[in-house]
Amino acid sequence: MSSLNLPHLDRPVQAREGPERVGAFVRRHGPFFVLLGALAAQLMLLSLQVSRNHNVRWIKLWTVMAFRPFQDSLHTTVDRTSQVWTRLHGLWGAERENQRLRVAIVTARAQVQELSQRAAEAERLRGLLDFKTRLPFPVVPAEVIASSPGEGSNAIFIDKGSRASLTTDLGVITPEGIVGKIIAVFPYSSQVLLITDPSSGVGCTLEKSRVQGVLKGDGRSLCQLHYVMNEEGVSPNDQIVTSGLDQIYPKGLPVGRVARVSGGSIYKSILVRPAAALDRLETVLVCLKPVPVEQQAARLPPR
Amino acid sequence: MANTVQRPVEVYKTSAITFWVAVFAALLLQTVLPLKLSLARLIDVPLLVTIYFSLLRRNKVSAVGLGAGIGILQDALSRGPVGPFGMAKTLVAYMAAWASFKIDLEEPVTRFLLVGFCVLVHSLFMQGLERGLLELSTPFEPLDLASAVLVNVALALVMFQVLDRFKRLA
Repeated sequence: MSSLNLPHLDRPVQAREGPERVGAFVRRHGPFFVLLGALAAQLMLLSLQVSRNHNVRWIKLWTVMAFRPFQDSLHTTVDRTSQVWTRLHGLWGAERENQRLRVAIVTARAQVQELSQRAAEAERLRGLLDFKTRLPFPVVPAEVIASSPGEGSNAIFIDKGSRASLTTDLGVITPEGIVGKIIAVFPYSSQVLLITDPSSGVGCTLEKSRVQGVLKGDGRSLCQLHYVMNEEGVSPNDQIVTSGLDQIYPKGLPVGRVARVSGGSIYKSILVRPAAALDRLETVLVCLKPVPVEQQAARLPPR
Repeated sequence: MANTVQRPVEVYKTSAITFWVAVFAALLLQTVLPLKLSLARLIDVPLLVTIYFSLLRRNKVSAVGLGAGIGILQDALSRGPVGPFGMAKTLVAYMAAWASFKIDLEEPVTRFLLVGFCVLVHSLFMQGLERGLLELSTPFEPLDLASAVLVNVALALVMFQVLDRFKRLA
């Protein structure tokens, strides 16, 4: 409006629009120019530090001083938290390890027990094999698989029967001593009457005095030696062996030892403790009858 | 300024306390976390705070100031000269503020794509400055760069959710 009264401002419209357009452009792109300015200022600051080694230590100093207490606190907090976490994690790990070790101990104990049992079994079988090889008559090894039911049972079952050529009245022994005789035979098992049964009878000899007698069971865990005259010299702990006269047990096998001896009206009363551990039998040997030479020849295959 | 607005946009703000606590905590965490967590060397918490507030305020000038301020403080706490972080964050803050007018940032996918892009630009700009201006022979590791983008986007996912609780319409 005033330009009409002012001759020096009386210019072409295009000339007047120039600065306005520049102003509008600057206003429109103001933030972009602010960005350029900020970048340029920082670039200059950076250049000063890089090219002229200008020190801006005060910026760093103030900032670091302002942050340091908080950094210390945060560092301590993070440190303690991580320590607590580490300990908790350690405790948790220890608990888990403890449980794992307990399981491992139980497993190891079971393994040790199993290995001990195997070692004992191996030892026992080795002894049995050694005993078997020393015997002058044929034997068949057998496992004790059961005892006869009933209180005071004096019979057991073994895992060999008629299929293993076993018959009744075969003697059953262990390396420690005689066990009993077979009273019933089945295809795959046999029943053995122990020497502690009252109905059993074993021909025996006192090893030292060579006095003979008949051993019968007392129905519990001991036996009695019958028919030994009062005048015979028998003392406790005397060894008793089989006489072989009963045609069941080979001669000279250990039977037991005299536990107690007392005089009677005619015969002595002799209590005998069996040599074999009859209450924990596992493996036994069945004594086969020696085959006569004629029968052995007949069994040979024809040429 | 009004001419730059392409569509009706909502401008948010936070309280001054929230803003300063966020900035301060970001700078503090950036100096302490890498000592305890090796993964933290890939994280740039001040950058995420810069992006968040630039997007929130939708103001390019204040975004430039925010980026420059946070960047210079980060430079001051670092062992290098003052300037590289400042320049990179200034640029990223401006980009974020510009983008806040152009695209719908309420959409989480867009928001996090933008964060990933900003982290990428920031890293590449820093690399360029270190190689070109500071003559540092920092090896360029594309795998590290990709990891940094992913880790920062993942962190932004959580951090922006937390900060969103403190925002309100301006």
